[in-house]
Amino acid sequence: MIQINNSDKLPLNEITKSVSDLQIGETALISTVGDDCIDIHCHCLRLMELGFTPGQEVTIVAKSPFKDPVAVSIRGTIIALRKSEAECIKIL
Amino acid sequence: MTLKLNQKDCHNTLTEFISEDDTPVIALVGMPNSGKTTLFNTLTGSNFKTSNYPGATVEYSTGKLNEEYGLRANIMDSPGIISLNPSSPDEEIAIDGLFNNPKFGVADVVIVTCDVTQLSRQLFLVNQVISTGYKTIVALTMNDLLDKKQIYVDAEKLETLLKCPVIKINSKKKSGIQELIKTANSVYKETDHSIYKTLIHKPPIPDIEDVARLYDYTEEIEQKVIKHSKREIDLDVINKNTFKSLSRIPDAGSLKLDKYFLHPFWGIIIFVISMGIIFTSIFWIAQPLMDLIDSGFSDLSTLVTEILPQNTWYSDLITNGLINGFGAVMVFVPQIVILFIFLGLLEDTGYLARAAMLIDKPLTKFGLNGRSFIPMLSGFACAIPAIMAARTISNRRERFLTILVIPLMSCSARLPVYAMLLAFLVPPGKPWIGGIGLGALYFFSIISGAVTAGIINKFKKTNEKSTFMLELPPYRLPVFRHIFKNTYYKALIYVKQAGPIIIVFSLVLWALTFFPNQEPVIPPEKTAGLTEEAVTHLKESERLNTSYAATIGKYVFEPVIKPLGWDWRIGVSLISAFAAREIFVSAMAITFDITESEDNEDNFQKSILGSMREARSPDGTRPLFTTASTIALIIYFMFAMQCLSTVAVARKETGSWKIPLIQIGLFTAMAYIFAFITYRGLNLIGIH
Repeated sequence: MIQINNSDKLPLNEITKSVSDLQIGETALISTVGDDCIDIHCHCLRLMELGFTPGQEVTIVAKSPFKDPVAVSIRGTIIALRKSEAECIKIL
Repeated sequence: MTLKLNQKDCHNTLTEFISEDDTPVIALVGMPNSGKTTLFNTLTGSNFKTSNYPGATVEYSTGKLNEEYGLRANIMDSPGIISLNPSSPDEEIAIDGLFNNPKFGVADVVIVTCDVTQLSRQLFLVNQVISTGYKTIVALTMNDLLDKKQIYVDAEKLETLLKCPVIKINSKKKSGIQELIKTANSVYKETDHSIYKTLIHKPPIPDIEDVARLYDYTEEIEQKVIKHSKREIDLDVINKNTFKSLSRIPDAGSLKLDKYFLHPFWGIIIFVISMGIIFTSIFWIAQPLMDLIDSGFSDLSTLVTEILPQNTWYSDLITNGLINGFGAVMVFVPQIVILFIFLGLLEDTGYLARAAMLIDKPLTKFGLNGRSFIPMLSGFACAIPAIMAARTISNRRERFLTILVIPLMSCSARLPVYAMLLAFLVPPGKPWIGGIGLGALYFFSIISGAVTAGIINKFKKTNEKSTFMLELPPYRLPVFRHIFKNTYYKALIYVKQAGPIIIVFSLVLWALTFFPNQEPVIPPEKTAGLTEEAVTHLKESERLNTSYAATIGKYVFEPVIKPLGWDWRIGVSLISAFAAREIFVSAMAITFDITESEDNEDNFQKSILGSMREARSPDGTRPLFTTASTIALIIYFMFAMQCLSTVAVARKETGSWKIPLIQIGLFTAMAYIFAFITYRGLNLIGIH
């Protein structure tokens, strides 16, 4: 657990895009993970441990019919992430 | 020939010189889907047992190494973990159990399974385990999948880089297993046991930079050990090319299949069909088997009645108490077996995770998870296997919430009750009204389950944020042997652990409905001209109506249920129905003294409906069963926790009485309040 101030997420920087903005089949490189997460319950460390590290290539394999969760290909496997989780992963 | 002899020698030395006390403990660690469970199954055969960590519902399996490997060792499996840094209470228990297992303490050797198709990810955990000080062996799995891409992992190179033994295995073909065990044994023998265990420590919790650095390291290793199997030119160039073409793309076949299985339209069609097959199977295929068990136990009961002395309390205890209690336990086994075979198939093929992903979004609105879907769907057949299936939900909070609302799903035991009550309500010649009514009951049970979960989720705040982050493993062919074995153990655990509670409950219920056992006195003019069977029936009715259950029904229940338009006889039937909801129908038949044989269903239905129409309210002024009081009864059954077996299984699966007690309290209160509102509301608008 990362112990940081218990306040809500900062407003997202409008320029930075995240994995949740990608369409099916689109590929991108991860820039940062959880840079602007100040949420105490943030799971960014776990996302990193799963292999979502800066510089890695991610591809959207599929989206559920409700557009959430999304299936993301990373490091040779596919991981399904909820939209809120995918938003923590910023892309170039 | 010599080799064979050597192996035999080796076998003898091993079994002779390792005594029971210093049997090495080999722990298996690995990420989810890394082939850990398959390896465990191969190593232990059928010599394993699954236990819960004390006070928790996290499972671990332990077993003895199969004799064919020629080494006496204990094998300890653990739940799949991503890293040694827990991110949920359940993971914390799993990781703590690795460092201090309640049965084996600290493991002597740790085998980490490592899926080579995603080496950089999997080496992350390998590295963490090595850094704890454990004697570590890396078992490389899924090598055949890499072969398809014409690349392979250089195990020797990896061994020098990691400074621990690395062995390629294939659990299904059993290749590399013997070597793995041999290595484990020599590692064990080389260990200085006096200080080894004091050197093992949990790794400190890393921050984001640490994780990034560790991944840089694993990538570097990955670059060095992955080789191309065809060309043998400049290694650097090959690695570069290989990585470009490899580009860490997931299994190509799975990607192709996912185009259909996760397609916005076809994905839903496949989902609905597969869930439909599972549901109809536990509903329809299990039915004849359950009937068989049911009739088997009632035949046994009849047989024993004939052997034992007539009209004694102990013969009734054995036939109606014990044998029926055992029957009540066993009758759920077919559904459990069928559901767990399907769950095993879904899990093994890789579809379970995908099904969870497809349906996750709507369920999150109620604080549930995509994995809650199958348990809740199964709840429409029976809450017992459904609650057991909730094990697949990894988040503790979501698992408990799912288990909590499962009894609200309209299970098949409610059908006979609904059928009887609806038949009473429906005007003659219009059976379709009953059909619509039944459909509406199913629909409302989904709504009530969802709303209840949603409300509890709102009120019970938590620090444990719901996460999904689920790996979608490559599609694979299932290993039926392992699925059947797992199903067998699931059924066995149910019988062993939930069985005793169910039997105790049944005995208490039996005592309530049997004692004080006043020999029923029936005026001779009443029995005149009746067959022996009818007299027995009359006696049975008289006995129940003078039992403690009837006393409770009269003095405790009647004042409470009178506002709902019911009397003590319904109260007694409700008490009896705690054994199982469908017993309500036969209990009604006994309390209202239906003499027609139950075997003739048409007559039975007619006579019970006739008795219901004739029954008068306690003061005798008006009919007991009116439209309003019968609808209130249906509403009551929709919510009430009328099933002791569910209570027992919920207790077993959640590890405490908290959830079952909430279920009894909350659902009974809901049942009462809604039945009251219905009855009074209908009265107010002129329906009586």
